[in-house]
Amino acid sequence: MTDAAGGADPPPRADAFAGVRRRAERWRRLLRVRARLALLAWRRSLRLRVASTTVAVGVIALALLGLLLSAQIRDGLFDDRRDQVLADAATRADLAQQQFDASTVSSTQEVQQLATDMVAGLQETSAGSSGVFLMRSPNTPALILDPSTNDSLRPLISPELRERVQADHFQAWQSVAIPRSDGGVTPGIAVGSAVTLPLAGEYELYLIYSLGAEQQNLDLLQGVLTVGAVSLLVLLLAMAWYLTRQVLDPVQQAARTAERLAHGHLTERMQVRGDDELALLGRSFNEMAESLQHQIERLANLSLMQQRFVSDVSHELRTPLTTVRMASEVLYHARDEFTPVQARSAELLQTQLDRFEALLADLLEISRFDAGAATLEAEEADVREVVRRVVDLTAPLAANRGSELVMHLASSSCTADIDQRRVERVLRNLIVNAIEHGEGGPIDVLVGVDARVVDVVVRDHGIGMTAMEAEHVFDRFWRADPARARTLGGTGLGLAISLEDARLHGGDLEAWGSPGEGAAFRLSLPRRAGQSITTHPLALRPVRSDPNLEPPDDTSAANPAALPDLHPESPTSHEEVNG
Amino acid sequence: MNARVLVVDDDAALSEMIGIVLQSENFEASFCADGAKAVDAFRTVEPDLVLLDLMLPGMDGIEICRRIRAESGVPIVMLTAKSDTTDVVKGLEAGADDYIAKPFKPTELVARIRARLRHGETQGTEQLLIADLAIDVPGHRVTRDSEAINLTPLEFDLIVALARKPWQVFSREVLLEQVWGYRHQADTRLVNVHVQRLRAKVEKDPENPEVVVTVRGVGYRAGTPVR
Repeated sequence: MTDAAGGADPPPRADAFAGVRRRAERWRRLLRVRARLALLAWRRSLRLRVASTTVAVGVIALALLGLLLSAQIRDGLFDDRRDQVLADAATRADLAQQQFDASTVSSTQEVQQLATDMVAGLQETSAGSSGVFLMRSPNTPALILDPSTNDSLRPLISPELRERVQADHFQAWQSVAIPRSDGGVTPGIAVGSAVTLPLAGEYELYLIYSLGAEQQNLDLLQGVLTVGAVSLLVLLLAMAWYLTRQVLDPVQQAARTAERLAHGHLTERMQVRGDDELALLGRSFNEMAESLQHQIERLANLSLMQQRFVSDVSHELRTPLTTVRMASEVLYHARDEFTPVQARSAELLQTQLDRFEALLADLLEISRFDAGAATLEAEEADVREVVRRVVDLTAPLAANRGSELVMHLASSSCTADIDQRRVERVLRNLIVNAIEHGEGGPIDVLVGVDARVVDVVVRDHGIGMTAMEAEHVFDRFWRADPARARTLGGTGLGLAISLEDARLHGGDLEAWGSPGEGAAFRLSLPRRAGQSITTHPLALRPVRSDPNLEPPDDTSAANPAALPDLHPESPTSHEEVNG
Repeated sequence: MNARVLVVDDDAALSEMIGIVLQSENFEASFCADGAKAVDAFRTVEPDLVLLDLMLPGMDGIEICRRIRAESGVPIVMLTAKSDTTDVVKGLEAGADDYIAKPFKPTELVARIRARLRHGETQGTEQLLIADLAIDVPGHRVTRDSEAINLTPLEFDLIVALARKPWQVFSREVLLEQVWGYRHQADTRLVNVHVQRLRAKVEKDPENPEVVVTVRGVGYRAGTPVR
């Protein structure tokens, strides 16, 4: 860009260049933005595309047509007028020659008079003539002054025309531009013929005809053509707009209706008018919506029936179960008066009824989830409080098994929108599970929090499980080791229900285990209903001796609850380490 | 004198079993298996407490509950197989004091009945003020401008519990323990529904309660005495 002598170039020039470059750059950016916007609108709107294409094609076609037409008309008009002018001029030249020949002049004055009269006469009698000139041929001696009716037009008679007249001794013509008083020009034709004056000799007669009337006609015609073209264009645009509307409106309506259907307004239908292709679209669409609605209602009915069935079974089973339960209780409390066999039977009846009851309750609970009848009664609560409560409740059971429950709670508030009953049930399940499989080792209960998620990890150091087993722990009635009995009265549905509970919150429950190392379960709950879980403040596989975790009896538990959004980085958040 | 309990249940086996348990606990049990006859049975038996199954032939438990409540404040405990449905709330709104979900244990049943039959210990001549109401605790009377307001025993217990400690905000759990006698967690809907029923009787404008004031996120508190 800079030349070879750049070193010698003074800096101001470079500055000027830089300024220009900057401005050019700015313009380019602006244009690029505009272009992108336009392109976007172009891609988005079929109507815009159709309308602008129609208009573009229309403009080109009309412009070509207009040009062609006006050229044809102009040439036609000109040719007609020229022929007329030439004939007129020839007649007049003949007439003039005859008069010249017939005259009997004897002096220069008389010749001069004759020429002047002739010129004035021609001017008067010929229509549309702007000027008449008699010009002396070059070889003729100057005897008289060249007469003319309009001296200002004399320069219009060009030497070429004169040469042609002198050479041909007959008629020659040329297009000329006649100056008007307003500064413009009017097209005209200058026609020359050779005449011979008595005494004076060879002269040339020139007549200038104006084409003003023709030009006016042409202008008028072109105006009409332009108006016609513009009206046609407007009509074309309106047509394009209207036609695209005709086609696109049903399409847009279909899109709107589909959207409303998707939002669950199953009775939404398209309006169908007429019998054309678009009406067919509407009808097919409505048929689809109809069948969709039918299917969904059928499924909803099934679900409703299922719910009713569950509810009925619940009632029908529970009443006799209550009687059996009470009878068993009475027998159990009277077992001291029985024989040992009877007493043991009463005991077995009692304990197995407990199990039966728990199983029934769990079955009903899980069928409620299956029926979609489970509802979340969420309210804001501190998860740490729930954890404390569950740990208090399960501590005696843990102590029985020689396990110790160790809480590691986040120091900041862990409020979340939770259904406390369900979260408590999940945690009780996880902790009892850990006690059962913890083999007397300590059980860690960790609570971590970040801006969006509260995590609770329950970790035991017992027999653990394999990765394959960890995948299946949430399956219904699944047993890691079929030979191993459930000692704490689990029903085999506890973890399945816990998973459903977690999912009902929009959260998750995951398991990890390693044989001999123990197992860990992580319950993740979104802090605000509807938030998705993308991060985890706690790792599923607990990090040993994490400095961020507080000892169990931290005093900061009384921290006022704060909005979670105000704590983007909680003191206990750390990276997840497992894969 | 043994307390009389009317058992309204269409399941003969369950009724008999409940009878056995009640009698072993020194209650006097009467039975009615038909919903349509329940209200008549109630009038003839004049029980101290009604155990009422919610699903009955003839007339459903909720309607029976409403009719009994219309003429008496006697404690009503519902027996229900559907603890999670709206039936429970409907029953409570119809005037039932408490409910037991099937299947239940005899001890649970007896504990619930005893809790409902236990009357607030009345010592001396305790008089309480709450908002513009006067409560005569031993006389079991609540008056506004010496005009008596008719409360069921449960509603009376509820208002007395609040009025005795006007400086304290009672959580629903605490009220469940003090008024209903639940030592473990129970259904907080009991409190919500009965506070509503109580307000309907004692508040001048139940939309803007002055006697039983809600403390958002915590529970309820007694209104400050006017005089």
